[in-house]
Amino acid sequence: MSLQIFVNALVNAALIAPPAMAFSLLFGILRFPNFAIGGYITVGAFAAYTLNVPLGLPLPVATAGAMAFTGLLVWLAHVLVFRPMEDQSAVTLLVLSIALTLILESVVRLFFSADVRGFNIPLERPWKFLGARITKEQIGIIICAIVLATSLHVLLRHTRIGRAMRAVADNPMLASIRGVDAAKITAFTTVLCGAMFGLTGVFAGLDLVIEPLVGWNLTIPIFAAAILGGIGSPYGAILGALMLGLAEELTILILPSTYKIGVGFVIIAVLLLVRPQGLFGTAEIKK
Amino acid sequence: MSAYLISMATYAGFFMILALALNLQWGLTGMVNFGIAGFYAIGAYTSGLLSAKAGWSLGITIPFAMLVGLIAGGLVALLSMRLREDFLAIVTLGVGEMIRLVVLNEDQITEGPRGLRIEAQPFRDMVSADAYPLFYLCLVALCVAATYLICERIRTSPMGRTLRAIREDDVVAGVLGKNVFRHRVQIFAIGGGFMGLAGALYAHYTQNISPEVFMPMVAMFIWMSVIVGGAGNNRGLLIGAGTVIMFLEGTRFIGDVAPWLDAEKMSSLRIIIIGLLLIVTLRVRPRGLLPEPKFAYRKPKEAG
Repeated sequence: MSLQIFVNALVNAALIAPPAMAFSLLFGILRFPNFAIGGYITVGAFAAYTLNVPLGLPLPVATAGAMAFTGLLVWLAHVLVFRPMEDQSAVTLLVLSIALTLILESVVRLFFSADVRGFNIPLERPWKFLGARITKEQIGIIICAIVLATSLHVLLRHTRIGRAMRAVADNPMLASIRGVDAAKITAFTTVLCGAMFGLTGVFAGLDLVIEPLVGWNLTIPIFAAAILGGIGSPYGAILGALMLGLAEELTILILPSTYKIGVGFVIIAVLLLVRPQGLFGTAEIKK
Repeated sequence: MSAYLISMATYAGFFMILALALNLQWGLTGMVNFGIAGFYAIGAYTSGLLSAKAGWSLGITIPFAMLVGLIAGGLVALLSMRLREDFLAIVTLGVGEMIRLVVLNEDQITEGPRGLRIEAQPFRDMVSADAYPLFYLCLVALCVAATYLICERIRTSPMGRTLRAIREDDVVAGVLGKNVFRHRVQIFAIGGGFMGLAGALYAHYTQNISPEVFMPMVAMFIWMSVIVGGAGNNRGLLIGAGTVIMFLEGTRFIGDVAPWLDAEKMSSLRIIIIGLLLIVTLRVRPRGLLPEPKFAYRKPKEAG
């Protein structure tokens, strides 16, 4: 029983951590909480579904296709919707992003209806060890999340483009004075984040179900993890995701599971009040 | 058809009250509220439960709904005054969702997803059944007018100037000796009270309320009303709310032109159109159809 809670929390964290890191990276570009991530994840899940089930491609190929598709989508959204409005306040951008997520979700609904779907994978008995159950897909999700987090770390810390990404997120003007092509770096960041949202869509489809609301239901936990870890800090996001996963699983012990989505909100509210820079973030210097 | 128009206008009335309340909080004072659906639900369920389950008369339940909305608004404001505006957006959205979750889960009290049936309607026995929808529309219109007048009064009063100062720069307003905190909490509470009123009017109009009505989508429609109409301008957002309802309801008629679309596809298409309308409006007219009038200094002798 108790081990099962940790297993569930770990799976939850593996699902939340990659998009929370991507959310943090996106936040670095325009500095507003982007609600469109829900729409991106939903589109990713359905793109993979389309490639996997009706077109019959194997799941890894479908996943790669979905990641390419959402990468393109997030870049297009940035160029067509958000960049022309970058001078507006954070609230305007936030309203825009909610409108965008509603549009994406409705487009998916228009083509696929609200039925619950799943990928074309064989159903298998979950593995058992020490009384805890875990499915093969869940192990895959955890391994992928670890690999992804490590590669992102290497990318950000040890490559030229990663250094440029951090520079642009920190201060785009200064970065461009130092010869960084900010536009190109921003485009790269959006495509990278998009690919991560697409992957999250696939994971969500594997672990939960594929339906138009899948992205919206993940949005708040993702925000919570990112804020918990300190917004703008991709590593904090991983720890935030772990703590959120644990908190959600522990809540189920006392409250009906329908309240689970509320846990994220409560964590966000309390944390923003007590420690606005997040648990692991550093306080931003205000002008 | 005329019955349809009356119901459309009544819904526009609810939206107008909500939009006026949001304009008070955001347009005038600069406080973001994405939990509108939650306050709307508080009003609807307070009045609905008190009249359907406790049997109180509507003369008490509707003011009570406003009072509960007022208190809820004040509490949310107290909780979140320190937050940056975009984080306030997340927290208020969270409050709204939590209220919906409570209504959904505590079904021994609220009837949850089955929906709460409310028999009582204001002045029901004094008006004939045929004329009642029109009568209710007049009642709602009266409430809209009262809300509008109060909001306009606040906007043009010295307090309104203080609120705009807080919106533009709360530090400067504080330095000038204005009590920023008290003003913010007051306005958020008043806005919550108006939203409670809209909820109560809605509950006794449809006579059947269920949690799925109070999805975050409602907040989106009200934000659209204020943004399309012009933030800070009460007259503009009445037009905005009318426009949003027209698009919401008018797009229903696409079904007549394109009969191959089923109800679900229709509602998706409607949301797509509304979302695009919002994005285009923000792009083309970021300050809305009727922008807030610029403050003009009047010389004392002209004014007096």
